Amino acid sequence: MAETEEPAGPPATLIDPIEMSKLDSKFREEIHSMPNAEELSACFACSTCTAACPIANIWEYKPHQLIRMILLGMRDEVLSSNEIWLCLTCFQCQERCPQKVRVTDIFFDCKNLAAKEGKVPPNIVGLGKELLEKGQLYTVTADWEREDMGLEPDVPGLAVDPVKDILKETQTGKLVDGGE
Amino acid sequence: MPVYNLYMGCSVPANYPNYEAAMIKVAEVYDIQLEYMEGVACCGSPNLRAIDYLGWLTVNARTLAIAEKNGHDIVTPCNGCFGSLKDVYHFLKHDADYKKQVNATLKKEGLEFKGTITPRHFVEILYTDIGIEELKKKITKPLDGVGIAIHYGCHLLRPVDVTEFRPEYLNELIEVTGASVVEYPLWKQCCGATVLPVDENLGIRLARDKLKSMKESGAEFVTVVCPACGNQLDLQQLGLKESYGEEYGLPVLLYPQILGLALGMDEDEIGLGMNRVPADPIIDHLTG
Repeated sequence: MAETEEPAGPPATLIDPIEMSKLDSKFREEIHSMPNAEELSACFACSTCTAACPIANIWEYKPHQLIRMILLGMRDEVLSSNEIWLCLTCFQCQERCPQKVRVTDIFFDCKNLAAKEGKVPPNIVGLGKELLEKGQLYTVTADWEREDMGLEPDVPGLAVDPVKDILKETQTGKLVDGGE
Repeated sequence: MPVYNLYMGCSVPANYPNYEAAMIKVAEVYDIQLEYMEGVACCGSPNLRAIDYLGWLTVNARTLAIAEKNGHDIVTPCNGCFGSLKDVYHFLKHDADYKKQVNATLKKEGLEFKGTITPRHFVEILYTDIGIEELKKKITKPLDGVGIAIHYGCHLLRPVDVTEFRPEYLNELIEVTGASVVEYPLWKQCCGATVLPVDENLGIRLARDKLKSMKESGAEFVTVVCPACGNQLDLQQLGLKESYGEEYGLPVLLYPQILGLALGMDEDEIGLGMNRVPADPIIDHLTG
């Protein structure tokens, strides 16, 4: 586990009652139909995912709680949460789930849904913009270093336009344009 | 002589020409033919996967489809690219609907993803296609007595049903150089690279925990097989010195640099001067 400060406040087991009228009963099906979410409802809330997560101690909603929130239909809370964006994508939760719930993959699904609603941290939108405009996240600036190593100054075979063309037509294009 | 499509992605060529060059030199020693792929760029990373699943699938399916044309497997030195390509390959093999959608876009370029070649990490081809016994035959300067902590990197190891990579592969790749593998408690933990754009301090703290765990377990050197992990464990050591006053002094070498040393290459050939934490101790050890 990462060394982190203990969060203030009551333990996570003492949570406020859930407002039943605000639940979105279709949310679980919405996620269930997304990539790699077939096993979503197999979750029996054992919280092994939370035990495996190196940063769950700083999350207000723990990984097993987020899965439970999806099953209950707490759509706004899940899609507006910081946690889905803080996920390290280290796959430790997913790897250890005894029910084969693809927890990390499901958080990717949540992020995709949040992105459709424009709920994306600005720096991540910035990376999308980078991909859209340059076709890559890193561009060679120190080509002399490549030459020092006996490499071509430009990356052989690099073609950025096809990547840009693809992303213009998909969610990246909408997200970046919508954000301007 | 095995032939592979070399997919560099964006980070290694821009930030780690020493990794790229050391990989190519090591490949030459073992008659591995790496051919730079034509017409490709970035894999998009988990960030693209987070905001645009279809775009991420399409970009990576396109790379796979280009490789399918000449029939050689793709090899990459980057865990991020490996994770993207492997995950997309695995997913599209099992999802006919998305495959159809992706191929409709690729058709405009006369491409089609069929799933006939496999994306692979450079260290995995060393282990599987060349093999430990063959690797051993060319070792001329064994790194005897050197304790190395391995940072595998999340996207090399997990999810294992997708990556099909076992940590033992890299352990054996280290041991064949004569070095010993230093076990440390946080060996599975993330380097923190992915979270940097959202919470930089958290990313730095994860790198710090990792370095501490390695140091306390007696590691003298660290090896990584990913540019993002490299940044976190090598470059961040300079930042940790500044912000926490902590000095770890752990040289971080890309795996081909380690193997290169054991093959008798000199420090310039493998670009050791570009590593941020000075690698002098390892040179002193080998020449001493």
